[in-house]
Amino acid sequence: MKNIVAFKNVTKSFNGFAIKNMNLTIKKGEITGFIGANGAGKSTTIKLIMNLLQPDTGEVTVFGQQYAHHEKAIKERIGFVYDNNIFYKDLHIKDIRRIVAPAYQSWDNELFNQYIKLFELPTNKAVQTFSKGMQMKVSLAMALSHKAEFILMDEPTAGLDPVFRRELLDILQEIVSDGERSIFFSTHITSDLERIADRVAFIQKGELLFTDTKANIMQNYALVKGSTSLLNDEVNTCFISIRQQGNHFEALTGHTEKVAQLLGHQVQLEKVSLEDIIFYAKGGKALYV
Amino acid sequence: MYNLMIKDLIIQKKQLYLFIPFIVFYAFFGQHMSPSFIFLMASLYIPLNSYIYEEQVDANVLLNSLPYTRKEIVVAKYMGAIIYMVMAVAVTSVILYVARFPFTWQDIALAVGMFFIFSAVAFPLFYILKPGYIGAVMIIGLIVLASMGPIVFRFLSQYLPAISNFITQTPQPILYGLGAIISIILYVISWLTSHTVYQRKVF
Repeated sequence: MKNIVAFKNVTKSFNGFAIKNMNLTIKKGEITGFIGANGAGKSTTIKLIMNLLQPDTGEVTVFGQQYAHHEKAIKERIGFVYDNNIFYKDLHIKDIRRIVAPAYQSWDNELFNQYIKLFELPTNKAVQTFSKGMQMKVSLAMALSHKAEFILMDEPTAGLDPVFRRELLDILQEIVSDGERSIFFSTHITSDLERIADRVAFIQKGELLFTDTKANIMQNYALVKGSTSLLNDEVNTCFISIRQQGNHFEALTGHTEKVAQLLGHQVQLEKVSLEDIIFYAKGGKALYV
Repeated sequence: MYNLMIKDLIIQKKQLYLFIPFIVFYAFFGQHMSPSFIFLMASLYIPLNSYIYEEQVDANVLLNSLPYTRKEIVVAKYMGAIIYMVMAVAVTSVILYVARFPFTWQDIALAVGMFFIFSAVAFPLFYILKPGYIGAVMIIGLIVLASMGPIVFRFLSQYLPAISNFITQTPQPILYGLGAIISIILYVISWLTSHTVYQRKVF
């Protein structure tokens, strides 16, 4: 499957925070959910994809091209939705359209009007008076109106009411249904991912712990419970994180089959949800599956 | 890039309605003022307003997410500023003429020169400083200027005869030409500085 975005050993350091050696790929035709706690590096990663930040080392390619030579061509094909309002706040939608539309060669005004109607957005009010959900809809309408092949969204569901959240997830699913468009969205709400993501990328403290299809994650990941006497170096390599209490342990594994082979019935294997994975992976190590 | 220049007009639609009344006000109530000052104010109106407004709303994320390069964003500002300056000078000339406010070509030339010098100093500040700091820097700048000014003038006054000799002895066209060259060089240096700073800026 074709990669829309590929990070090759990307590192970006700030004062007290760093993206470390990241190898992230986003596949064409899929919805990839990007999950991690607040401050894990989700927004930084999104800024790296958008070239708002440049990596210290490593390489970012989008649509197989690099920003250094193809910045405009790449951005022409990306639609962006950020977690705060980035549009001139006291302008009306029609003025914002007059700024954004001419920037894109493939802008479709009719399509834009359709989305404005569909999303019930008022055109004669300043965007700063809009609720967070409405501001998000403005960005989404802009992204869809220039027929972006890749839609990048930073926390689109945060702050939305439950009704629109569901509607949005349905809209996103509809967007990728032709297999030509791809979506990458960050969130810290696991139920969003369980509902629509094909693939999940998990970031923790600037490190990408894993990227895998949801089906594989459900199959390979499990919570292992048993006696600490079973733990040894070989067994430990199967675990992402281990918590010990007295002579019992609970560990998260990304290699359910291997654990079953090694330990068999001596341990209990429990299915995990994405939320469990995030909870148990805290303090864990990167695992490439 | 043309779109980026038009954008500077769209974002200050409301302020633009005040542009003509602003000059008319000066034309009728600024009789004691130098016409160069009125031309300078009018030329800076659109470019400076667009910088101040974009600084307040932090427009960088939007502009850099659209299919524009950083180079284009900076060039559009510097090119746009010249175009809006020319337009402002034209509009102001008409208003002053109608209001029978006396002015000469020299007044316009002086204002344009000052426009280039002021812009050359002010524009890079909007790229160098973080949003919200520009006001503080301008106040500190004024204080420094006010305290350093007299010292500089005292120093310069030692050379005053030489300076005034140079000015009186040089023919006017050469003096104006020299002024034009210096202002344009400063403007180009300013643009290159802004360009370099903006390339490395983190949003």
